[in-house]
Amino acid sequence: MERKELESQVIALVATSYGVDAGTLTVETSFADEIGGTSVQMVGLVSEIENELDVMVQLQDAAGCATIGDLVDKVEEEM
Amino acid sequence: MSVLDEIYAKAKLNPQKVAFPEAENEKMMLAAYEAGKEGYIIPILVGNTAKIKSLCAERGLEEAVFEFVDIADEEYKNKIIEAYVALPDTMLKQKPLARRTQDPLYFAMVMEAVGDADVTFAGIDNTTGDVLLAGQMIIGLKPGISTISSIGLCDIPGFKGSEGTLLAVGDSAVCTNPTSEQLASIAISACDTVSSLLDWEPRCAMVSYSTLGSGQGELIDKVVEGVKIANELRPDLAIDGEFQFDAAISPAVAAKKVNRESRVAGKANVIIWPDLNVGNVGVKLIQQFGKADAYGPMLQGFNKVVCDCSRGAPVSEIKGNIVISAVRAAGSKNY
Repeated sequence: MERKELESQVIALVATSYGVDAGTLTVETSFADEIGGTSVQMVGLVSEIENELDVMVQLQDAAGCATIGDLVDKVEEEM
Repeated sequence: MSVLDEIYAKAKLNPQKVAFPEAENEKMMLAAYEAGKEGYIIPILVGNTAKIKSLCAERGLEEAVFEFVDIADEEYKNKIIEAYVALPDTMLKQKPLARRTQDPLYFAMVMEAVGDADVTFAGIDNTTGDVLLAGQMIIGLKPGISTISSIGLCDIPGFKGSEGTLLAVGDSAVCTNPTSEQLASIAISACDTVSSLLDWEPRCAMVSYSTLGSGQGELIDKVVEGVKIANELRPDLAIDGEFQFDAAISPAVAAKKVNRESRVAGKANVIIWPDLNVGNVGVKLIQQFGKADAYGPMLQGFNKVVCDCSRGAPVSEIKGNIVISAVRAAGSKNY
């Protein structure tokens, strides 16, 4: 999968899991400063990644990502 | 009769099915065996059945006390996965579930989610984080609840509270720095936990260093907002505050400090701490100065009962926690 396509898919999954408009998100979007959310939503995101991309990202790795781009890196590593 | 004796007696009246995904662990197996043999629960050992049965024989335990579920039983696994994905609002789909259920912890929780077990009991071989993650992924949170949390039950010699020597307190173990919304979740879950375990009518005080505006500041605002959210979400519950701890549990102090009607002030049987610093210190003060026995922490907020026990706990303590979790599961079916 091309990097750009993966970025779009992860952005879509973040939008679904956190209930935000995908159009407002980019790879630079910060989880802590711009998305916020709860640990349960992060669990939901990790589950969605597993469901849709067939990739298991550890929760602590996902929670350690500062931006969506960092999360895309993690997903790419596990593919 | 101590509170634990009462809980044991209740468990025997309606033994629940408890799934043990760490069945190979000797302490876990012994605790499950004792609880099953004495009629408190129906223990289901989940894992590699041949290996578990061989360990059972080595340890001189009667196989007949247990039920066994082999995670390599593809037919049964497919059946529970199929039933699971048909449930509303589940997080994982079929393929990731098939992968996750290679781990007995996830397998046991899927069994619980579909009704083949009433409790999943783990925490010796898996970390607390593992248990919480699996619980959130597979069992999920109760509607309206935003965080997993915990409560403990303190039996304090000489304490003359509204439930005699008993007082439930939370969260002293899981949610570090709860937001107002999370505080509300902790309070609501705590009320449900004491109802299901002890048949109490919960009177829940959210405590702070201020009583109804006697102090001001953001630490208090968080608690005040938490009370408001809890009351909006569950108007059926008696949740009140913000109160200082003494105004929550002492009728005399409440009479002086609480100048309005309250179903809780002075007679609270559930205390909700504002954060984990207070919770941890509070429980240790109760234990050290009050010479209290503290039971728990009991995890709460999940759709069904999930229990994470302490790694260092002796068999007797694990057995007590198994029985407590079984009684909670039985009680939660009543409402």
